[in-house]
Amino acid sequence: MKKDKLKIGIYELTGCAGCALLILDCENELVDIFQAADIQSFLMAKSDNIDGELDIALVEGSVSTEKDIEELMDIRKRAEIVVAIGLCSMVGGIQGRFCDEKEWKENFKKVYGDIEMTHTKPVQSKPIDAYIKVDYYLPGCPIGKEQFLNFFTRMLRGNPPERYPQPVCVECKYNENDCLLKKGILCLGPLTSGGCGAICINHNLPCVGCWGPVEGGNWISEYYLLKEKGFDDELIKNKMANFSGTKIAEVSEQLRK
Amino acid sequence: MKKISVEHIARVEGNGGISATIDGNVVTDVKFIINEGARLIERLTVGRTPEEDVSIAPRICAICTLSHKFAAIRAMENALAVEVPRKVHLFRELMHMGEMIESHSLHTFFLALPDYLGFPNAIAMGSKYESEVKLALQMKNFGNHIMKTTSGRYIHGENPVIGGFGKYPSKDELIWIKERAVEFMPSIIKTVDLFCTIDYPDCPEDDTIYACCNPANDKYGFAGDEIIVSTGDKIYRDDYKNLTNEFIVSHSYAKHSRFKEKPYSVGALARINNLGERLEGEAGNMYKKYFNDRWKKNPLLNNAAQALELLYSFERIPQLVDELLQPPEAPEIIRYTAKEGKGTGLVEAPRGLLIHHYEISNGLVSHTDIITPTAQNAEDIERYCYIAAQSLLDSGKEDKIRDRMELIVRAYDPCISCSAHLAEVKKAPEESWKEKIDELKQAESPVFIGVGNTCYSDDGAGINLALELKKAGVKDVWLESELNDNEEIWQNSVNRPLVFLDAVDVKEKPGKICVLPLHHILSNTSLSHKFLPFISGQMNYKQLKNSYVLGIQPESLSKGQKISRPVRDAIEKVLNYMH
Repeated sequence: MKKDKLKIGIYELTGCAGCALLILDCENELVDIFQAADIQSFLMAKSDNIDGELDIALVEGSVSTEKDIEELMDIRKRAEIVVAIGLCSMVGGIQGRFCDEKEWKENFKKVYGDIEMTHTKPVQSKPIDAYIKVDYYLPGCPIGKEQFLNFFTRMLRGNPPERYPQPVCVECKYNENDCLLKKGILCLGPLTSGGCGAICINHNLPCVGCWGPVEGGNWISEYYLLKEKGFDDELIKNKMANFSGTKIAEVSEQLRK
Repeated sequence: MKKISVEHIARVEGNGGISATIDGNVVTDVKFIINEGARLIERLTVGRTPEEDVSIAPRICAICTLSHKFAAIRAMENALAVEVPRKVHLFRELMHMGEMIESHSLHTFFLALPDYLGFPNAIAMGSKYESEVKLALQMKNFGNHIMKTTSGRYIHGENPVIGGFGKYPSKDELIWIKERAVEFMPSIIKTVDLFCTIDYPDCPEDDTIYACCNPANDKYGFAGDEIIVSTGDKIYRDDYKNLTNEFIVSHSYAKHSRFKEKPYSVGALARINNLGERLEGEAGNMYKKYFNDRWKKNPLLNNAAQALELLYSFERIPQLVDELLQPPEAPEIIRYTAKEGKGTGLVEAPRGLLIHHYEISNGLVSHTDIITPTAQNAEDIERYCYIAAQSLLDSGKEDKIRDRMELIVRAYDPCISCSAHLAEVKKAPEESWKEKIDELKQAESPVFIGVGNTCYSDDGAGINLALELKKAGVKDVWLESELNDNEEIWQNSVNRPLVFLDAVDVKEKPGKICVLPLHHILSNTSLSHKFLPFISGQMNYKQLKNSYVLGIQPESLSKGQKISRPVRDAIEKVLNYMH
């Protein structure tokens, strides 16, 4: 008996919309994607969207307004499996960096002054798992095409997505690149989740950390190693923070000790 | 005047919508709403190195990522006095062309065309228009391919840096790009024919101001060091604030812009209007064939302009590649030593003029100002929606308003997710003027100004109402005649809403009361009023935006007659409510 197609919804909270766009960037596979699954909602691609029960919800973007919270709660209620796609929904994205509420408020004021937003109340940017249970994570800023197609086909067959337990350095070694750290260039490869194929280092440029913190990365040791190599203290901390979202709060806490 | 100092940008693009509120025969409010939350990107870059900024700032928007990268790099190179050789400029132009093709093909075929052909999305369109959908996917794929080859990735590629590129594409890759571009040409010409012959509705049509980059040497192009405005003004890159004058509105995390107190538009249509004469080759021929006066005032023609630009880009790529294949080899990244400086970078994102401005002190970013195209278009989007909504309402086509507004927003290509949805038409409840007055009172206490002419029956309604309010002891009520040379009134009313009391013909039954934004009245000639344009000429834009008209529908405007019964009752009603 033919099984029903999986019902999938793709949702965007606050972010650059890059992860959703990346899905549209699968030009050669797009028609197949729409045929293989029942795409119930995908605001960027279609106007006949339905908010019903879902097998899988993919959520990109961080939670940055009260409306985002409401939408997210509703998605969780309707979906069997929720997948956080991209850096924003995993760790709050680049905008998740103002972890301290006071710091966030000050910066908000610097941009918007004292104006009261009438349409929806702003909240500090947070990853979606600050509000709901998340089943799987797909790292990247944005996610990659191969990564997405791999994930999509596995889900269609009822398999869980691949994990990315290795840092960028592993992929960099596969590509036989010279280590930039050894050349005196501050590269975040050792702390960053692999999966991108070490693309920046392939282009002779240092890793900026955009795939987010790798599981089990030893931030404190790395920090002291970089200090030993003579890099500026502020520069190290700043670079570590740029793409770590709210996770940087833990690291800062440990560094203070 | 109180100055609101701001270091802005919420990224625009993503989740947004447009709403119109209708009270009887009149559109009382139109709002272009960006639901996307605040990301404070400009603040995220402060205290960072120029290199970090160049990788953070493009995350504002995935669709214009390379335009942001390009603008940021241009600004930083201006600030830090980095000069790159022609080869690097050409590679950047090629990279930018990739984004233009990717974005324009996505927008024209996937987002706009389904509207005109009557489908909910492009995939559904594929059943009947298979070759068009296929072509669009191939074009988009080609644009993406150029972006990936030059920037390293489809989205947020890190290869373009201050001083050059980490790695340059190989000769084989360049030749492949050139050959593929040439192959596309016949279908691109058909695309221009398709989009230039669509029967675009003639509502809304109204003159506006267009602004875009002025590329060097009188060429067409997508970057420059100067802004060219359709009024004839030219603005040097560092003086960009003379164009943008940003301000914040409470219904959106995107800021709005005005030029000389007037809204203006940016984007493909602006570029074709300001620079179209410079197009050469096939693009030049097509421009001559299709460009006409309607392009100057109908925002929907933006789709046609985008198609022309696709043609321009496909013609330009082979020229670029030919030059790139010539010696000398592209250089290593140009290094710099400067630690202080200020600089502005101007580029054309697919959806219009994009400005990045930075101040660097002690090697770190100390100030960031980023002005996106959608922030600049927001005012005109609202204005055109007003015009369209009112004129459709006047001709009894209220049911068309929602779709038409969506069409307008989408034509501006503000970004893909927000152009995909959410137009809403709201019916105002009975007597909604009371609510509006309460709302105004809650924010800041309003100043009331009675206008009109008591010699012409109901035209005296505003003056009469003002006199009655004064008599009843309501504060801050003035007559039009008291305004002249009375500095005190203007000084007192800074940052407070002005509410003009007047007879306004909204084609309703006599005595109908409504509160309308002043700028709506000014942009809709169908609503009768005499003095407001004169008075509004003395106001700055912030005041204009914060001003309203409490209008009463007149019954008669004949000379020497008394005020009619229904209007008399309306005056009583307002008086009782406010007193």
